[in-house]
Amino acid sequence: MKSFATLLGKETRALFSSPIAYIVVAVYLLLVGYTFAASLFMTKMATLIHIFFQAAVLLLLMIPIITMRQFSEERKTGTLELLLTAPVKEAAVVLAKFAASMSVVLVMVALTMSYAIVLALFSHPDWGPIYSGYLGLILLGSALTALGLLISALTANQIVAAVVSLGLFSLLWMVDTAATLLPDPVATFLIGLSLLAHFTPLATGAMYTSDFGFFLSVTLLGLFLTVRALARR
Amino acid sequence: MTLILAADRLTKWYGRRLAVEDVSFEVRQGEVMGLLGPNGSGKSTILRVLTGYLRPSAGTARIAGFDVVTQGLEVRRRVGYVPEDVPLYTNMRVSEFLMFMGKLRGLWGHGLAAAVSAVYERVSLASVQNLLISQLSRGYRQRVAIAQALMGDPQLLVLDEPTNGLDPRQIIELRELIRALSRSCAVLVTSHVLAEVERIAHRAAILLGGRLLTVHTLVGDTQGYQVRLRLRAPDSQSVALRLESVQGVSEIQPETASDGISVWRVRVADTQVAERLAASLVEARLGVQEITPVASDLESLFLRLTGQEASK
Repeated sequence: MKSFATLLGKETRALFSSPIAYIVVAVYLLLVGYTFAASLFMTKMATLIHIFFQAAVLLLLMIPIITMRQFSEERKTGTLELLLTAPVKEAAVVLAKFAASMSVVLVMVALTMSYAIVLALFSHPDWGPIYSGYLGLILLGSALTALGLLISALTANQIVAAVVSLGLFSLLWMVDTAATLLPDPVATFLIGLSLLAHFTPLATGAMYTSDFGFFLSVTLLGLFLTVRALARR
Repeated sequence: MTLILAADRLTKWYGRRLAVEDVSFEVRQGEVMGLLGPNGSGKSTILRVLTGYLRPSAGTARIAGFDVVTQGLEVRRRVGYVPEDVPLYTNMRVSEFLMFMGKLRGLWGHGLAAAVSAVYERVSLASVQNLLISQLSRGYRQRVAIAQALMGDPQLLVLDEPTNGLDPRQIIELRELIRALSRSCAVLVTSHVLAEVERIAHRAAILLGGRLLTVHTLVGDTQGYQVRLRLRAPDSQSVALRLESVQGVSEIQPETASDGISVWRVRVADTQVAERLAASLVEARLGVQEITPVASDLESLFLRLTGQEASK
């Protein structure tokens, strides 16, 4: 546990001492804020549903930038050798990087709550979909972060890690679009894999345990495979 | 002496490429073992397997009685490792980095502070403790890397090509440091420089193409080197007396003598002694015809073994 705390401190400092985290958060907030203002003036409705979808798509774009360097950079500079030959478990290294990356995601998502506060100040929004939407964003962010770490653990090149993560996230987001063209067992399987299909209910205020289970499973699978990728040397 | 490291038929495949094949050797407490071989001979791979960074494809290795695969965590607690190219977190300050590595080794509170102070003293780092690692010279970075490896008093210190990129003065300092460290732990050091291994190690394992050719004991005084003298001198007695009178000459061996020309093999501590020896012989008008360095036992052995392998 002490090793984990030490590693978490190091990872968090590394993330927040570089300008990348601040730029990612700032650009994310700017784009989500633009969508919030535009949709509010156009629809005149006290809802964040549009914001959640926009925020989710932006997570697909921003999380690869946060996770790309986590293992790739350490592998390239050789410090991964230093870390993995220290008396710490691979799982502690992976969880520390996951927790540090998630802290950036949580800061990003938490700061968008200012839009919910704006709605509350000037109207009476339905809080149910807002709570579930934020929960959906956090679950989605956690699944994407775990997958991003897995990709980063497989390559020493940050750019490769970012591009492959972006490709994988985009594919998983829209994988169900081909479902209408395919016969049933395959179509159901593709819908079951789709991030969008599992995020939509949460963003619109419907909470199903299957969606929770999906995002938690992807997160745990991503972390497990990352540990395996580090252990298989 | 207590057995610290026992490698038994270690083998490592990288895909279809065999990097290390059936390598077995032992290192004991207080011993400096050199792994010697050309680039690509498998030295770094062996170190990475022993330190738990890579898993062996076959064979076993035990450090302080713990298996490097099944008891990796216990092994890593007892091993201090300085990888080749000295990877460090260059955005950290020296003190911050050592604290970080110390905590990973399970040191906290007063124990951690004491361990950090101790390594500052052992590797002379106190003057740069508040500097960013990115601001340090190669020599100081090497010291920081050794300092982190010493945190927690390891039983085995593993150094991969520690003299790479150091200037002559830093190499001499590092040599002294390794000798001093070997009093408290076993040291496994790799190098592709024969002279380095000869000066640092008690034994040298010669590797080629991933295979261990032999483990050679570097007997007696491994400091200094040998020179061959060709002299025109009336009698060997006066030559021997003159050679013995030079301070720093430790071994004198006549090789041949005919027609007033004699050949001698002499061990000198360093180049300054060799210069004094030449000056002394000239001063005595002993007709110095030639002074040439002699290939060491290790060098001869290395050339012979690697030559045999190449001819196979």
